Amino acid sequence: MGSQEVPPVPPSYLLPLLQLCDSALPNGAFSHSFGLETYLARGVVHDEEGFTAWLRQFIGQQLVYSDGLALRLVFEALDSPALGDCALAEVWELDRRVTAQALPLQLRGAGIKMGLRMVEIGAGIFTAPELDEYSAQISAGRCAGHTAVAFALTAHGLRIPLAQLLPAYFFSTAISLTQNAVRAIPLGQTAGQRVLRLMHDDVAAAATAVMALDAGDLGAVAPGLEIAQMRHEYQRARMFMS
Amino acid sequence: MTAVAAVTVATVATATAPAVKAPMGELRLEIGVRNGRSLATGQYHRGALRVIRPHYLDDSGQVCYVTVNPGGAYLGGDLYTMDITVAEGARLLLTTQSATKIYKTPNSYAEQRLTVKLAANSSLEYMPGQLIAYRGAAYRQSALIEMDASASLIMAEVLTPGWSPDGQPFRYEQLRLRNEIRYGGELLAIDNVLLTPTSAGTADVAGQPVADIAGLAFMEGFSHLGSLLVVDSRVDAALVTELQQLLLKYELDTLTGISLLNGPGFVVRALASSTTVLTAMMDELTGLLRERWFGQAPLNLRKY
Repeated sequence: MGSQEVPPVPPSYLLPLLQLCDSALPNGAFSHSFGLETYLARGVVHDEEGFTAWLRQFIGQQLVYSDGLALRLVFEALDSPALGDCALAEVWELDRRVTAQALPLQLRGAGIKMGLRMVEIGAGIFTAPELDEYSAQISAGRCAGHTAVAFALTAHGLRIPLAQLLPAYFFSTAISLTQNAVRAIPLGQTAGQRVLRLMHDDVAAAATAVMALDAGDLGAVAPGLEIAQMRHEYQRARMFMS
Repeated sequence: MTAVAAVTVATVATATAPAVKAPMGELRLEIGVRNGRSLATGQYHRGALRVIRPHYLDDSGQVCYVTVNPGGAYLGGDLYTMDITVAEGARLLLTTQSATKIYKTPNSYAEQRLTVKLAANSSLEYMPGQLIAYRGAAYRQSALIEMDASASLIMAEVLTPGWSPDGQPFRYEQLRLRNEIRYGGELLAIDNVLLTPTSAGTADVAGQPVADIAGLAFMEGFSHLGSLLVVDSRVDAALVTELQQLLLKYELDTLTGISLLNGPGFVVRALASSTTVLTAMMDELTGLLRERWFGQAPLNLRKY
């Protein structure tokens, strides 16, 4: 009996998803605090508990209303019955929208810088025709190149379902930020893991929340977070680029 | 707790169906120039929205129109639309007679839609009174601004913590304010503010809810939110740095950020504990721009 059972096979997208969401992916996420460093400088976040509270808001706000909704909208454009060029035109428009909604200069810069790296990584390792076209749009100056759009095009090409991509993307961002917090606050490595364990429910809730939003919600990030991201520009001592 | 928070967002969004009936108030204003002075070349209003006779605050030729809501407040399901066109070379200052008040909206949110077209070398200064949302109020406000690359835009907004009979702040249901600016045919900025007090936060380490709009990431311990959006070909990084220095004097009373937009414009977001300090800050910033760009004195529209 046992010898006739089909051995368990992981879904084809599992390993690509793990590789894309591994913190070793050289997309430059380590250089960005996305406003966290401003909270550290003000003394608002200075320990494990404070960082946990901050990371919860970052996941529930920034990741849901900006990157998460952008990932979903790119997937919906690519899966729409529209002909290829129309679907892609919609994606290029989303690139402009997700760039325009990032009002803080450094946050917008982070999205573009990481986006351009992601296009390179994606096009070089996980080839997808849409990524090549995105790269051409960026070279022609018609698109900015945003990390969420590049990530969505790469993941869509790998047949990674959105329902798996959203929590994986959120959690991998939480891991990068936690590793940054471990260095910058500083926290112990075990404390960092405790925080990440607490984020499981937040990440799941965030992925659910993304599916309930309207397209017009893109960029509706909490004002305190935006202000911190703006103030980082003129903070004196900085370890991070945002 | 987080799952509960996420569900609350969805409930608020669906429980308040969009206003589909005819607008409660409509205003159309076309501003042109005659003999060096700007004035309305076309004007239409209907229902609970009108403008009072235009006036001129100085001899710059900029015309000032004041909108009036005779009903005094926005109610559930109310839709107000404003279409503003400023022709080549014309300059408009648009404000409101009093604060915008949103009363309890039990079945559907109240809504205001503003569309603006700014032709070459025209300008709009949009300085509405503060927004006050009463207990149980849900409100959506959208502005779609299309401007020529040589036009100038200054718009400010102050959101108060609202009003409730028990004196508690943030008892409104939801405020949703969205500005979309197209500059020279390209999307320049989407400025989106969404405040839903009942689902503002999640839970703390002990699993206790910290759903507090007054706290971390949202109001950071303050009560009032001010925004200033400026788009003008004369905006550059040096101007933003200059204004940032000017803002330092408000550091004790506010938490303020300023940043250059993805083009010649900047945004200011400020948290404070009163309308007064936010209005003073905005007046100082816009005063500098009015003086430098148009040779005009600072505005002094209202004293609180």
